[in-house]
Amino acid sequence: MGVASLVLGIVALVIAVFSGGSLGWIGLLMAIVGIVLGALGRKDPEKKGIATGGLVCSIVAASLGLILFIACAACASGASSGLKSLF
Amino acid sequence: MKLFFEIFGYKIPSYGLLIATGVILGNIIIYFYLKRKKMEYNDFIILEAYGGIGAIVGSKLLYLIISFRDIKWQNINSLAKFNSLMSSGFVFYGGLILGVALVLIFGKVHKIDSIKYLRECIFIIPFVHAFGRIGCFMAGCCYGVPYNGKIGVIFPKDSFALSGIKLLPIQLIEAICLIIISAVIFYLHNKKHIESTIEIYLILYSITRFIIEFYRYDSIRGKLFLFSTSQWISLVIFLFSLIYLIRRRKNVLF
Repeated sequence: MGVASLVLGIVALVIAVFSGGSLGWIGLLMAIVGIVLGALGRKDPEKKGIATGGLVCSIVAASLGLILFIACAACASGASSGLKSLF
Repeated sequence: MKLFFEIFGYKIPSYGLLIATGVILGNIIIYFYLKRKKMEYNDFIILEAYGGIGAIVGSKLLYLIISFRDIKWQNINSLAKFNSLMSSGFVFYGGLILGVALVLIFGKVHKIDSIKYLRECIFIIPFVHAFGRIGCFMAGCCYGVPYNGKIGVIFPKDSFALSGIKLLPIQLIEAICLIIISAVIFYLHNKKHIESTIEIYLILYSITRFIIEFYRYDSIRGKLFLFSTSQWISLVIFLFSLIYLIRRRKNVLF
C-alpha cells in the first residue's frame, strides 16, 4: 500500500504540474486515493517510511490540485468562458 | 474580488487557493484537537480522504443532475470541454451527502469508529466551508441579489458575477454564518458536553442555507415549484435531523 501510495502521489504530482489544467481533476482524485493508501500503509510499522513518503506526495499533489484545478463556476451556474458554450 | 492572485509571478486561482488554505488550516486545528483527545490523526486522514472523494464526486453529480437540461451535451465534443465541465460547477449538498456516506461505509471497512470521529470533528466542516465561500466571493460565483445598500459590492468585469451592478455579498454573509455555526458546535460539544453535534450541524446549516438561497441570484439554481433544489434538500435534512435529535435521549439540547 505504501508503494501504491507513492506511485499515485508522484503521478498525481506530475499531472498537477505538467498537464496545464486539462487533467487536474483526475490528478486530484488519484492524489486522494494515494492519501488513503498512504495512511493505511502507515499502520504497518515495517513499511511506515515509504507509506509516509507516499502520503506526503499525495497531500502535496492534492493541495496543488485544489489550488490549480478546482474552479467554482458558480456552484450550479456556469460562467467561465469554457462553460458558457455548454449552456 | 480577484479571480487570481499573483504570487512570484504565477497566476493562482483565488478560489482554489482559499479552499486549499481552509483544508490545510482545518487539518492543523484537527491535528492538535485530536492529540488533546488522544485520538488517532491517521484514522482521521483516512476518513477525511474518503470524505474528500465523496465531496468531489457528490457535489459534481448533484450539479450535473440540476443542470442536466441546461447543458448542451452535444457541445461536449473535445477533451478540453469535458475537462471544463468536470472542473467547474459543484453543489455543496451533493458533496456533503456522498462524503458522509463514504465516511460511514469505509469507516466500517477499515474498522474505524467513523461516528465518533464525525461527532468530534464535524465543527471543522463549516470552518473549511467558510473559506470556500470566501473563495466564491473572490471569484464572483454564487453571487447575491442586486442590492444598493452600504454593503453592496460591484464585481469586476472578469469575475463570474454580474458586473456593473451592486450585488449583496451573500458569499461573505454565508461565510460569517458558517464560522458562527462552527464555533457554536465546538462550544456545545467541548464546554457543554453535547454529543449530538452531527444533528446540530445539519439543523443549523440547513436553516442557514434555506434562508440564504432566497438571496442568491446566480443563474442556474435548479428550481422545483417554490423552492430551489438546495432549499428542498435543506428542508428534508432539517426534518430528519430534528426528528433524530428528539429521539436521541442522551445529551439532547433541550
